[in-house]
Amino acid sequence: MARYSLRVNGERREVEVDGDTPLLWVLRDELGLTGVKYGCGVGLCGACTSHVDGAAARPCVRTAADSARARITTIEGLSRDGDHPVQRAWRELDVAQCGYCQPGQVMAAAALLARDPDPDDAAIEEALRDNVCRCGSYPRIRAAVRRASRIMREER
Amino acid sequence: MISRRTLLRGAGVGALVVAVPVPALAAEGLVPNVFVRLDAAGKITATVPKPDAGQGVRTVVALLVAEELAVDADDVRLEQAHGDAERFGPQGVANSTSVRQLTTPIRTAAATARCLLVTAAAGRWGVPVAECVAKDGFVSHPRRGRLPYRALVRAAAALDPATVPVELTPPERWRLLGKTRGGRVDARDVVTGRTRYGIDARPAGGLVAVVARPPWIGAVPDVVDDTATRALPGVIDVLPLTAPAEGQGGVAVIAHSTHQALRGRDALKVTWRGGTPTADSRAWLADLRAALPAQSPISGVQQVFSLPLLAHAPMEPMNATADVRSDGVTIWAPIQDPGSLRTTLARQLGLPATSVRVEPTASGGAFGRRIEPDPVLEAIACSRRAGAPVQVLWTRADDMRHDSYRPMSVHRLTAELGPDGVPIRRAHEVATWPLTVLPIFSNPALIKASGDHFPYAVPGEVTVAVRPAPLRTGFWRSVYAGQFVYAEENFLSHLGKQRGLDQVALRRTLLPADSRLRKVLDTVADRARWTSPPPRGTTRGVACLEEYGSAIAVIAVADPSTRRVLRVHAAVDVGVALHPSGVRAQVEGCVLDALSTVLGAQITVRDGHVAESSFGDYRWARITHTPDIDVTIVPSTAPLGGLGELAYPPAAAAIASAIAGDTPVTSMPFGADVG
Repeated sequence: MARYSLRVNGERREVEVDGDTPLLWVLRDELGLTGVKYGCGVGLCGACTSHVDGAAARPCVRTAADSARARITTIEGLSRDGDHPVQRAWRELDVAQCGYCQPGQVMAAAALLARDPDPDDAAIEEALRDNVCRCGSYPRIRAAVRRASRIMREER
Repeated sequence: MISRRTLLRGAGVGALVVAVPVPALAAEGLVPNVFVRLDAAGKITATVPKPDAGQGVRTVVALLVAEELAVDADDVRLEQAHGDAERFGPQGVANSTSVRQLTTPIRTAAATARCLLVTAAAGRWGVPVAECVAKDGFVSHPRRGRLPYRALVRAAAALDPATVPVELTPPERWRLLGKTRGGRVDARDVVTGRTRYGIDARPAGGLVAVVARPPWIGAVPDVVDDTATRALPGVIDVLPLTAPAEGQGGVAVIAHSTHQALRGRDALKVTWRGGTPTADSRAWLADLRAALPAQSPISGVQQVFSLPLLAHAPMEPMNATADVRSDGVTIWAPIQDPGSLRTTLARQLGLPATSVRVEPTASGGAFGRRIEPDPVLEAIACSRRAGAPVQVLWTRADDMRHDSYRPMSVHRLTAELGPDGVPIRRAHEVATWPLTVLPIFSNPALIKASGDHFPYAVPGEVTVAVRPAPLRTGFWRSVYAGQFVYAEENFLSHLGKQRGLDQVALRRTLLPADSRLRKVLDTVADRARWTSPPPRGTTRGVACLEEYGSAIAVIAVADPSTRRVLRVHAAVDVGVALHPSGVRAQVEGCVLDALSTVLGAQITVRDGHVAESSFGDYRWARITHTPDIDVTIVPSTAPLGGLGELAYPPAAAAIASAIAGDTPVTSMPFGADVG
């Protein structure tokens, strides 16, 4: 066990874990950030997608030791009150069914729009192709990313 | 174990639940029944009897209550009912029954509360009840003004509900139900990560367990060397689990944290015995082919279809949390039937039902898998041993390799054609396995009843041979209809393609003129501009299904050269579409399931175990495969129908027929080696 100081959602958080503990379990088990979802543990499904230094990343395939100097944002830290344009678009278009993959989908979409505010369909598919939704909300996800892009443009 | 028959019978019983009015003390507010109550401040709380696995039960309950109490859906606080079928009626989410079973009891419950409030107001004002109306949280009268619900709660609670006639709000006056605006009620929680799924239920002092599971089907632990595991930090205990009383069997490692439990499992040295270490799904398919029932005497065109094993693979892997105490058991888990689970557990543990508390959490998908109690039984065994609450967590590979799979099946279809190429007699022989999770599903008549929904005017026989299942099998969205309809509709399309018949016209001529199916078929043909030729390089597939009290027709448009599905049109008659966005969502979900299973997802078994372990090799559809999906809700006078499973079978058939072009479809996935 070792102590690590992580920068999560704008705060310094101290944890004491083995260095090889996946960041996913540090966030969920140690810090109680359960919006970060476990889906596969091997970087194939995207359910845990969060931001590391502003880019979409998979906490299940990073360790606590890798993450000590990174700036980590989870779904809990995306916005203060759930009103990030992506979150608003997701509600407007009634995207979610079971909802389990959606924190990861939202984080992947927010990272895309942060670097490409007006993505075309190919860019949307490229950014979200490794986020699995087992309920089949993909048509609405695609529409909601476009909608979020429009909201951001209108409010710029 | 829950019985689907029980669920179906329950549909009629549910309405009785509200017939037991329980007037509460005024101080506690207005509690006319178990589903709806108002506190002294007028705040409305509704109890949702069934769990929500993404099909929108909670949203529909909120809409029903808000409609009858003349408020907005946001004004209704929802409470998820714990398992207690005596109190709440049928609580199973299965067989597309949720909305059908809940609508009348919940509407009546909320309307009872409204009528009591209105009667109380009329009494206060000394005016006829008929002159008072409830609106926006007030009861108003043209001359007396208006009173908020909170001012009426005490007087309403003092009334005897048996003396107050209950009138439901007629559909023509609905403000919320059946309207297009409004999404699911929990949407903000979902997009902020606040929704609590089973995996998020970790009581204070709770531990985590993962289970070393059999490396081949049916194996049991022989020698367990846990020395290295027990030496690891955080590991608390190692516990052999015996099937079926303790789940699927294996060796559980209980630890303080998930990572420690996983590392502890990696360090276990277990030798296994028994089971079928050489099992192979290709051999199983050959066995089913050989087991097809004797061929019917009709002769004509014939095709044989092979369908694979399928896993449920919900995004939230199996898990359950149990807290076993000396005086009872509490369960938190993503489950499809809390009421039946409580009864099963009480019987199995030898406890009175009152000592078993089952709290259903939100569930990250279910698709039929979460009817089964095996993760809960594992959690109970672990918590009993540890003397603390324990969450059993399945990894993705555990979930995919130890599922209750959709059975493999082989279908031989034969048709005798009339001079115009339209079939005049048919035969359909099936060889498949039973559902091991529910023994009555070894009865061929029940399998046939689940699968056979051939709607067209072609006389014929369907015969089912049942072979012993070589691994666990269970309910998978649409159950046997997913297999039977795929074979039947693709075969009909094959007949049409061979003779160059128009696929819509072929089906139209075989459906009664005034039927629901013909209406949805005409509607979808219109939406898809069927009478115009398809865009160059594309082909179209058609299929229909009437089941669960609803009817649907699907047209898929695809490019066979790339196997890209471009568009899917569906027209659906669900009787009454209470939440249109939810109706569309269920159809969209079924279309993606269809796309996934036609384009490539299948489970195979090699060397005794399931080969696939995650989303890398169980090839579920991604956003990149997603077609445009156009869902039309057809106006209808039919009673409320079910929907959760309706669209999967015809969507799979229509998609396969479209991407196949001129190539005959004889398998699922299309063009794949099955097994």
